[in-house]
Amino acid sequence: MTGGPRVLVVWCPDWPATAAGIDAATAGAVVARGRLAACTAAARAAGVRRGQRVRDAQRRCPELVVQDRDEAAEGRLFETVAAAVAALIPRVEVVRPGVCAVPARGPAQFYGGEEALRVHVQDAVVEAGFDCGAGVADGLFAAELAARQDGGAIVPAGGSARFLAPYPLAVLERPELAELLARLGVRTLGDFAALPAASVADRFGADGARAHRLARGIEPRPLAPGAAAADRAARTAFDPPAERAEQVVFAARRLAAELHAALAADGVTCARLGVEVGFADGRVLERLWRHDGNLSATAVAERVRWQLAAWRPEEGDADAVWGGAAWLELVPDQLVPDTGRQDGLWGRGAVTDRVARAADRVQALLGHGGVARPVLVAGRDPGERVVRVPVGDLAPTDRPDGPWPGGVPDPAPAAVPPGPLPAEVTDDAGARVAVSARCAVSAPPARLAVGGGPAVRIVAWNGPWPVAERWWDPPRARRRARFQLATEDGRAYLASVEHGNWQVEAVYD
Amino acid sequence: MAEPARTLAGPLPGAAPRPAVPVLPALRTVVPGGLRPGSLVGVAGHGSGSLGLALVAGVSRHGGPDRAGGWCAVVGLPEFGVVAAAGMGAAPERLLLVDDPGDRWADVVAALTEAVDLVLLRPPERPGAAAARRLAALARRHGCVLALAGPHAAAWPGVRLRLRVAESRWEGLGAGHGVLRARRARVTAEGRGGGAWLWLPGPAGEVAPADGGRPRLEVVA
Repeated sequence: MTGGPRVLVVWCPDWPATAAGIDAATAGAVVARGRLAACTAAARAAGVRRGQRVRDAQRRCPELVVQDRDEAAEGRLFETVAAAVAALIPRVEVVRPGVCAVPARGPAQFYGGEEALRVHVQDAVVEAGFDCGAGVADGLFAAELAARQDGGAIVPAGGSARFLAPYPLAVLERPELAELLARLGVRTLGDFAALPAASVADRFGADGARAHRLARGIEPRPLAPGAAAADRAARTAFDPPAERAEQVVFAARRLAAELHAALAADGVTCARLGVEVGFADGRVLERLWRHDGNLSATAVAERVRWQLAAWRPEEGDADAVWGGAAWLELVPDQLVPDTGRQDGLWGRGAVTDRVARAADRVQALLGHGGVARPVLVAGRDPGERVVRVPVGDLAPTDRPDGPWPGGVPDPAPAAVPPGPLPAEVTDDAGARVAVSARCAVSAPPARLAVGGGPAVRIVAWNGPWPVAERWWDPPRARRRARFQLATEDGRAYLASVEHGNWQVEAVYD
Repeated sequence: MAEPARTLAGPLPGAAPRPAVPVLPALRTVVPGGLRPGSLVGVAGHGSGSLGLALVAGVSRHGGPDRAGGWCAVVGLPEFGVVAAAGMGAAPERLLLVDDPGDRWADVVAALTEAVDLVLLRPPERPGAAAARRLAALARRHGCVLALAGPHAAAWPGVRLRLRVAESRWEGLGAGHGVLRARRARVTAEGRGGGAWLWLPGPAGEVAPADGGRPRLEVVA
């Protein structure tokens, strides 16, 4: 079996860092959830690596510029690259922000050979102001690795398996599989590809079999005949035309949910999803997104938002909406059998239809973030222990774990306001109670007034418990002294002093 | 899909009455038999936070069609203590939180009454007579209990059951030492006698029957 169609991949190095506005020549990194998601070449030269903790990276490279990851900006900015490529070859597929692919066979004939095409595309992207590599190979996986090779390379037809053989297993981006294989003495894609396919499928399941197909240089899944894709398109019209992106995004979420349900009913999923937005003046905005059955309806809507956000500013004024969006169409592309994906207990499946409908109605009234489901996580403050996940989004997977010295003991407070409430705690003489740096209290607290309300007598108290957080990170460091105060009206409070000011963090109501 | 059809049509005259919406076992002494489906419940005064949590926990743990757990929504209470509710037995995965419904709160509650078994609501303003009637009618039709908290709950017409904490005392805290361990609270239903002494919450966050025991300290497991 051959390795699928010839594909040209354009790969922009360190895209998250580029999108965050960090110049490639300065040492910089982008952080998501405490770990480096990407870093620039200059940072890499100093020993900084993806996946490191921020403080490890800063130890190796003290002048490191650190920014938070902004995925929306990545998607938006990459539209510029996709547009530059689309000017040469119209059918651009955005694999993910930072990587896009085009079919190579036809354009290569038009531009006079694959090398000419490759150089042409690369020049166009560099012209647009971004570093990139471009590679041509059989299939997406090999082409992306070819693009990452020193400015790009061409792997001859049928040569993908040989090209891939020396690569380490890490390029498969399946760390658990790679670790297991390494213990079996399998260290490169070539070693892995030499294993019998049936045994790999037996031992590692559908995902392992997919990885094995990649390693052998063939498409991860057998391509299904592309017939019957068009009539599955989900389409909605806006009458009058939608003036705000929010309307289109909201409709996209509903359409995507319908589309997913229809596809799931037939046991198929799509490799790519075409999103087409038609405007009142006849213009059509078209983009392909990689799907592979991994996108939730919300993730699809998010891509529609990126697509709209990236295109609207081009006109530069309020009329940039081109008369408003008249219709939206989601076209599944390349239908393949759905090999199944285990939805966690936290999947959409846990939400009953009635609840989902009601949540949709509330989201229509208040916006996507208006209704949330709480997820309990570990943490020190009462407020940190609950994460609110908008209905329809997936819960965060990598949750921080303990220990949490200085955490608040059970029972948990009944009322945790979103932010601390200013308070005043005074002693018998009416003077504000102060806590020294050595955690000594100036006088026993006697009265508490919350938020400028009347003072209530304190009948019992404890404290102070010092809580020093993130002392290694001066801008975010906090140092507080905590108290529990019980008042004569039967309530109790979790209060703290920070910089000499009293605040109530939670109420045991 | 017999279920939505039934809820759309509302209870048929002469049909079997809906089962009561359950409360936590410890609260059954105060609210025998549970809450009437479609009724309005008020919680007020100090301790109303914990009472709201306990109502949500009861439905979340014992409610739903097969008594294996029902859905609850919390509207307009951004400070709702999810950890404390979980300690009382609530399942966070069956909670919907609408922290800031703004001036659309009535529409939000109307949408939610169709789907969940209990809505805990703090109206951000004094409800208009029409809005109150509409929400009460929707709650009756769908068998959803509307629990009202906050300063505007008292003005809500048609509330038959009002729960409050008549007196309470925290245990475990001294003058400069100890830690809040549990609260002994006398919970009453307005106009229904003396109420019951409960741990609200107990040392592990649970709600359990307690004695009114004045000075005696006892070990609670």
